[in-house]
Amino acid sequence: MKIFDIAFKDLIRSTRSLFLIGMAFAAPLLLTALIYFAFGSIASGDMSMADIKVGVVNADVLPANSPLDVSLGENIRSMFFDDSVRSWITASDYADEAAAHGAVDAQEIGVAVIIPATFTKDYLAGKTDTSITILQDPTLTIGPTVVRDMVASLLDGVAGGGITIKVVSERMTVNGKTLEPAGIPSLIQRYINWYTDFQRALFHSLENAALVVTSPAPGGELSNDIQAMMGLVMAGQLIFFSFYTGAYAMMSILQESEEGTLERMFTTPTDRTTILAGKFLAVFITVILQGAVLLIAGHYLFKINWGEPGSLALSLLGQMFASVGLAVLLVSFIKTSKQAGPVFGGGLTMLGMLSGLFTANMNIDIFNTMGNFTPQGWVLKAWRLSLAGQPVSELIVPFVVLFAMGIVMFVIGARMFGKRFA
Amino acid sequence: MRILDIALKDLSQIFRDKRILLFLVAMPIVFTLFMGFAYKSGKNNDAAKDNRIPLGWVNNDANGLVSRQLFEMLSDSDSLRLVELTPNAVDESVRKGEVAGALIVPLGYSEQLSAGREAQLTLVADLNSAQGQSIFQSLRTPVTQLMSAVEIARLSAETLGKPNDASELNETFASASQSWSASDSASLVKVELAVKDNFLGDWYGDNPYNQASPGILVQFAIMSLVTSGQILVQERKSRTLQRMMSTSLRPWEIIAGHTLAMFGVVFFQIALLVVFGQLVVGVDYMNAPLGTLLISVALSLWVAAMGLLIGTLVKDDSQVVLFALLAMFILSALGGTWFPLEVSSGAFATIGKLMPSAWAMNGYQNILIRGLGLESVWLPTLALLAYALGFFVLAVWRFRKMDV
Repeated sequence: MKIFDIAFKDLIRSTRSLFLIGMAFAAPLLLTALIYFAFGSIASGDMSMADIKVGVVNADVLPANSPLDVSLGENIRSMFFDDSVRSWITASDYADEAAAHGAVDAQEIGVAVIIPATFTKDYLAGKTDTSITILQDPTLTIGPTVVRDMVASLLDGVAGGGITIKVVSERMTVNGKTLEPAGIPSLIQRYINWYTDFQRALFHSLENAALVVTSPAPGGELSNDIQAMMGLVMAGQLIFFSFYTGAYAMMSILQESEEGTLERMFTTPTDRTTILAGKFLAVFITVILQGAVLLIAGHYLFKINWGEPGSLALSLLGQMFASVGLAVLLVSFIKTSKQAGPVFGGGLTMLGMLSGLFTANMNIDIFNTMGNFTPQGWVLKAWRLSLAGQPVSELIVPFVVLFAMGIVMFVIGARMFGKRFA
Repeated sequence: MRILDIALKDLSQIFRDKRILLFLVAMPIVFTLFMGFAYKSGKNNDAAKDNRIPLGWVNNDANGLVSRQLFEMLSDSDSLRLVELTPNAVDESVRKGEVAGALIVPLGYSEQLSAGREAQLTLVADLNSAQGQSIFQSLRTPVTQLMSAVEIARLSAETLGKPNDASELNETFASASQSWSASDSASLVKVELAVKDNFLGDWYGDNPYNQASPGILVQFAIMSLVTSGQILVQERKSRTLQRMMSTSLRPWEIIAGHTLAMFGVVFFQIALLVVFGQLVVGVDYMNAPLGTLLISVALSLWVAAMGLLIGTLVKDDSQVVLFALLAMFILSALGGTWFPLEVSSGAFATIGKLMPSAWAMNGYQNILIRGLGLESVWLPTLALLAYALGFFVLAVWRFRKMDV
């Protein structure tokens, strides 16, 4: 009974510590929330990215006797000023490449599209050494890719016109006929009409398009790469802060020793083993409570599917054994609470890094290998399996390893404490 | 002079505890190496495996000419990897994420198109997922080219006066498809990075430390809030503050003295990390030495002022650590020190760009990644100084109201 009294007293003390509450609950939730805020809205269907700011330098001139009404450069320019893209592209004109370069440098625009003076003429002449330059801010990736694809898509439309003339001409020859120059503009016009309708359907009216999209039929949880990423991100935070919380809660032994209350307890008839057991129990309960709260919060706030109940339970128990074991071991080596800061901050952070907790969603081989030698690494393995929907049988090995690690560390730490307070 | 005395007292007090070097120097260096290594490994991992997006393929038009052509086009794709599926397995494979989407070719697809009737391909995908969107975008070009070949065949047959001649349609379709295979509109688009002509540094992506080094530098500068916040708390605990307040020192002088000390500590940390970045991991801070200096000074002033504001708000050491850590997490993530803001959602990026940490990152990136000079850091420096002034004024105001 005294064990529970001591554990209860320690738990009450823990709940009064704003720092412990912050590190146990607020910090992991805040970190996951930040990642969710950054990427989660994309997962929930809001594809709104930051506006793409495009600058256009159109020096292209329509050559004399061109079969086109306007130059290709003007077509490309108009595409970026079109009403249909105004909600996600902000376009502006620039006089020359230097002005556009300056605007990219000043981050007024992220991408500049530079169309040379003879682009239409060279293109129609079949020259392959002509090109449109996409000048991009080197820190950006998405915006420039979108702009490049838009330009290439428009050029595809033009190329289609060229292919039409070439193929029709070839087939006429095969059939003993000749394609008269007077017939070319109407042929191109028919192709352009088709292409315009086709693209409009593909971009704006999917139900009438050549490619329609349907969602997979419902049935079980939908696998979503962002949700999978969120699960791994939160698992990393859960593990890191669980070990931190265990160690910090265990530090109450040192604080009580420094404050003199531990020595006073030792003068009472209560067995020393009972006192230490009560303190260990408080740490167990704290870590389990923290894990449960974070798992529930993760499920409801970030829609993380932690896996089958049995797998989830084994992962959480394994995490608890390992974190409490390491906490007892670490604190048994520390003399004063002042030493705890560097040991917890530096030591646990280092172990977390080596175990891949901060790069859990990247699945890097070397950290997976190093994780074989750390308790945090094995806890991450367990959560990976559980998040992937693996059954309990697949988690037995990591659980046994974690249980064994936890017991060994706990026994060594408890013996150290026993000697210290003998 | 009295401000300087307070600053020197603080510095001697701070550096008396050698453990501070662990947080000021050792941890940021280890984190820089770690993050750079992680970025590099991630990239190598990506390069080693087949990164093409898996696309489920269900062909109900097995002998059709058009569907066969589509299969060939998709098999040659650099961005898509075909995975043959049975019709019954489509939904489950997409739900489980085994394929990012599945393309279903309907029965009689080629025949319908040859006869000039509408026919639709179906993509089963979750367009709310990034992979679903990617696969849809990746399919646009091959589907456009395929349908273009069908349309060209129809136009050609009509021009020849053989609109219903299947053999003519098939031959023209094959010819148009071949022409599309030879055409490469993408080669007419040249992508260039907007960088200074004579800049010889490594770009983002080539040297992973170009992101990791300034990112960790800014993050750990913010973590120094712990030290700056603790100064006031410790003075209150030891009742030094009360004694100082009984002298002729004005509140702003006390805050200025502490700010100066903290500026020194943070600047010392940043300087060490800049030297480490330059000499050990090849990040070219010396591309614009004066620019690096300006942005580092402004960053140090902001962190010092904000740390002291935290010191005036909290009651004990543990609260300082908690507030400082929370500030570090929020400002680091929103400021783009962990990942570029461009890849995050619009609202996140918009808010993030206003953060002082984002201004600091912007200043360093102008030098390291964009290869720009001193002129490029004036704006970020002014923004950081404005933040520093704002936090300093708030700290003085809180200090006046503080119950010492």
